[in-house]
Amino acid sequence: MTTTGPLETDNSATDSPASDSPATGKRRDFLTLLTLAAGGAGVAAFSWPFLDSLRPGDSGAARPPVDVDVSKLPPGQQITVVWHGSPVFITHRTPQALERLQQASLAARLRDPSSAALQQPPYAANWHRSIVPAYGVVVGICTHLGCVPTYSPAPDPTTPVANWPGGYACPCHGSKFDLAGRVFIGAPAPYNLPVPPYAMPTPTTIRIGANPPGTDFDFSSIQQI
Amino acid sequence: MTDAGSRDRPDEQEKAGLVPWLDARLPVVSAFRREYVDYRTPRNLNGLWNFGAILTVVLLVMLATGIFLAVNYTPTAAGAFASIEAIDRQLPSGWLLRSIHVTGASMFLAALYIHLFRGLYYGSYKAPREVLWLTGLVLLAMVMLTAFAGYVLPWGQMSYWGADVAGKAVDAIPGVGPWLEHFLQGGDAPGDVSLHRFFILHMVLAFAVLGVVGIHVAALHVTGSNNPLGIEPRGAGDTLPFHPYYTSKDALGLILFALLFAVVVFFLPDVVFEAENFRPANPLHTPADIEPEWYFLPFYGILQSVPSKFGGLLASVGAILVLFLVPWLDRSPIRSARFRPLYRACMGVLVVCFVLLGFVGRHHAQGGWMIAGRIAVVYYFAHFLVLLPLSARTERGIVLPDGIAGAGRRGA
Amino acid sequence: MRGGVILRFVALLGLAAPLCDMSRAAAQAGPHDRVPHQAWSFEGPLGRFDLSAVQRGYAVYAQVCSACHGMKSMTYGDLAATGLTMEQVGRIAATQQVPGGVDAQGDPVTRAATPADHFRDPFANPAAAAAANNGVAPPDQSRLALVYPGGPDRIYAVLTGYREPPAAYRPSHAGAVYNPYASGREIAMPPPLRDGQVVYTDGTPATTAQEARDVTTFLAWVAQPHLEARHRLGAQVVLYLLFLAVLAFLLKRRLWSDVH
Repeated sequence: MTTTGPLETDNSATDSPASDSPATGKRRDFLTLLTLAAGGAGVAAFSWPFLDSLRPGDSGAARPPVDVDVSKLPPGQQITVVWHGSPVFITHRTPQALERLQQASLAARLRDPSSAALQQPPYAANWHRSIVPAYGVVVGICTHLGCVPTYSPAPDPTTPVANWPGGYACPCHGSKFDLAGRVFIGAPAPYNLPVPPYAMPTPTTIRIGANPPGTDFDFSSIQQI
Repeated sequence: MTDAGSRDRPDEQEKAGLVPWLDARLPVVSAFRREYVDYRTPRNLNGLWNFGAILTVVLLVMLATGIFLAVNYTPTAAGAFASIEAIDRQLPSGWLLRSIHVTGASMFLAALYIHLFRGLYYGSYKAPREVLWLTGLVLLAMVMLTAFAGYVLPWGQMSYWGADVAGKAVDAIPGVGPWLEHFLQGGDAPGDVSLHRFFILHMVLAFAVLGVVGIHVAALHVTGSNNPLGIEPRGAGDTLPFHPYYTSKDALGLILFALLFAVVVFFLPDVVFEAENFRPANPLHTPADIEPEWYFLPFYGILQSVPSKFGGLLASVGAILVLFLVPWLDRSPIRSARFRPLYRACMGVLVVCFVLLGFVGRHHAQGGWMIAGRIAVVYYFAHFLVLLPLSARTERGIVLPDGIAGAGRRGA
Repeated sequence: MRGGVILRFVALLGLAAPLCDMSRAAAQAGPHDRVPHQAWSFEGPLGRFDLSAVQRGYAVYAQVCSACHGMKSMTYGDLAATGLTMEQVGRIAATQQVPGGVDAQGDPVTRAATPADHFRDPFANPAAAAAANNGVAPPDQSRLALVYPGGPDRIYAVLTGYREPPAAYRPSHAGAVYNPYASGREIAMPPPLRDGQVVYTDGTPATTAQEARDVTTFLAWVAQPHLEARHRLGAQVVLYLLFLAVLAFLLKRRLWSDVH
C-alpha cells in the first residue's frame, strides 16, 4: 500500500487516489499540504478574537486616588475605606496607644518591629509606620491567608491574648498585629500589614493611592499583600 | 470475565499503543473511520449537498461566539442593552464576536432554508428517510425558537416590541390565550422575568440543537444520503468514500460560504443589524415598523394575510406543521423533482410564493400586498395538501435511469 | 442542478430585499426636503476616519452638545482610539464631573471622572431632560448616526439647515423651530452651532459648516468606533479566503479528476 500523506484511503482500488503515477502524486502532496497548512492557520487565527476577549480591561489608567476626610474621626476610632478593591484601615491613634507602640516590651513580641521587610513606603518605614503618628493607614488584609482583621484597640490583660496591648486580631487563624500593623511572633501571618502609598495634602485629608510630592512608591513592589 | 479471549490477539495493523487501546474500549476511532472516512456516499451529489456540513460548522461557530458573549452579558431589563454596548465598544474583539454571532444567525437560517429546499426538491423525505426529515423539521422549529429568543436579548426597541407582538399572538389563542401569555411572560408585559426566561431558553435550546443534530446525522447514516437522481445506489460503482471526495468538496463549499459570511460581517453589517434595535427598549413608544428578522418574514406575511388573529397564528404555525406530513402526502415512488415535471413547476411556484410572503410581511399586508399574500397562502397550503398528493397521478409512465453511474454524465 | 440554480437566484433576491430597507426608514420620518449627499471619509468598504476631525468633533460635542445630549454608552477611555494619549484622555475625563457616591451625611456628591467612567449625563433622568427642553427629551447620541433616518448626511443637513422659515410657517408646539431637513420640517432643538462657537485647539477656523462636519464625523465614529479595524481585518480575511478558495478548488478538482 503506497502512502501519499494524510488523505490516503485504503479502500476499493477503483477510486483510490493512490493509484496515480509518482509524478502527479508529488504535486498533489504539495497542494494538499499547502491547503491544509493554510486552512489550519486560518482556524488557529480564528481563535484569536475569543482569547482576546478574555483579556482583563486596562485597569492601570482607571485608578484615581481616594480622598478621605478624617477631621471628624475621633481618637481611638477607625474607618475602613475601599481602595483598589481592598479595605484600608484609617485609625486615629490616641497618645496612650502611640506610647504603648514605642515600648521595648512590645517590640520584643513582634516578628519585624523595625519594618525591615518591604511592606510599606519609605516615608512609612518608622516606628509608627505612617506619615504622622496620629493617623495609621494600613491595608486591612491579613498577610496569612487574606481575611480582614478586626479592630481591638483597647489593651486587655487576657483577651484576645495575655497582655494584649491593643491592635488588630484576625478571626480566621488567630494572627495578631499591633496598632501600627506589625505582626506578633507566633502568628501564622509572616509579614506586617502593608501600608499603601498615601499622602496628606491637608492635616486632615488622607489621599490613598498617591505619594507625597517628591517621593515615589509602587504598591506592587511590596513583599506580600 | 471469560470472553476476553478474542481480545487477546494484538491488533492486526500492529500500530503502537494508544489508538488501538482506546478503540478497543470505546470505538471512537474506528467509528469515525467508518462514518466519516470510508462512509460510502453517492458519487453524483451537487453543491446543494454541502449545506449539512455548512450548517454544522456555523452551529459550532454560533455556540462558541454565544458562550463568549454570554460571559459578558447581563440578562436584566436594566442592564442588558448597556452590557451589549459594552461588548461592542469596550470588550477587546467584542465587536467582532458580536458581529459574527448576529451575521451567523442570518447565515444559519439562509443555509437552513436552502438545505430544506434540497430535501423537498429531491425527495429526501421519502422512505426510508422519513425520520431524517422529521428530525430535520424538529431542528427547524428549535432553531427558529432559539433565534427568536436570541433577538430579544439585546433589549432594544425591536427586541422588546418583537417579544410584545409574539405575546399578542399567543394572546390570540381562544380560551387559554390571555392566561398563557401572562404565564409564559411572567407578567403583564415583557420585562425582567421574560428576559431571564428567554436568555435561558436561548442557551439551553442552542445546545439541545447540537444534540438533535447528532440524532439527525445518525438517522442519515442508517439510510445513506439521497442524491440528485433520487435513485438508491446499487453498488460500490455508484458511490465514493466520503474521504477524500466529499471532505474536499465540503471544504470548498465551506470556504465559499465563509467568504460570503466574511463579506457581510466586515463590509455589510447594515444588512443584518436592524438600526432600530440600537435604540434601548421603550415600553411607552412603539416603533413605526415592527417587523421580525428576514427569516421570519414569510411566516409573518402568512400571519398578516389571514383576516382573523387566531386564524393567522394557526396558518403561520400550520405552514411549518404541514411540512411534517409531506412524506405521507407525497406518495409518488419517484423521489427527485428532476423526473417530475409537474412537481418541479410546483416547487418553483412554492419558492416564489414563499419569497412573496416575505415581502408581504415587510409591507404589513397593506393594500395590494394583502391580496398577493392571500393568494400565496392559499397556494402554499394547496401545494402540500392538494398538488402533492395529486402529482403522483401525472407521473405514471415516467422512466427512471438505470443507476447513478449509468445516468452520470460520462457513464461507468 | 437546475433546482439549485433557481434557489440561489431566489436566495440572492431575498438577500437584496433588506438593502431596500434604508430608504424605507427615511421615508417614514415625516416630510422633509431632499437631503444633499456629502462626501465622508468613512463611507464605503474602504472608509477611514479622519481622526483630527473626530477630535475636533469631540470638542464640539463637549462644548455644545453635551449640555443637553447624553452619550451614555461611551466611556472617556474610548477617546484614546481617536489618537489621544491615555494622559490626555485622563485630563479630558478629569474636567467632567460625574456622580461620586455619597458623603458621610448620605448626600450625593460628584467627583472628577476617570477614563473608566461613562460620559456624564446632562440630566438626572429622562423626565428632567424632557422638562428642561419643551417636553422633548434630547436623544442620546451613542448610536445617533445609525438610528437617525438619513444618517450622517441628514445630521449635517439639519445642523446647517436652520434658516428663515417661509411666511406660512407656524410652530406646531412651543419651542419648535423651522428646519427643512427635519422630520415635518421642524425640530425642537434651537440652532446649536454658529461661527466661532467652538474653540478648536488645532487652529482650524470654527465656521458653522466646519463645526457641523466635525461633530457629524464624531457622531459617526461614536456610532461605529471599530469601523476601520473592521474594514482592515475584513480586507485581510477576504483576501485570505479567496486564496484558500483557489487552493481548495484546485485540490478538489485534482482529487475528483478520476471520477468524472
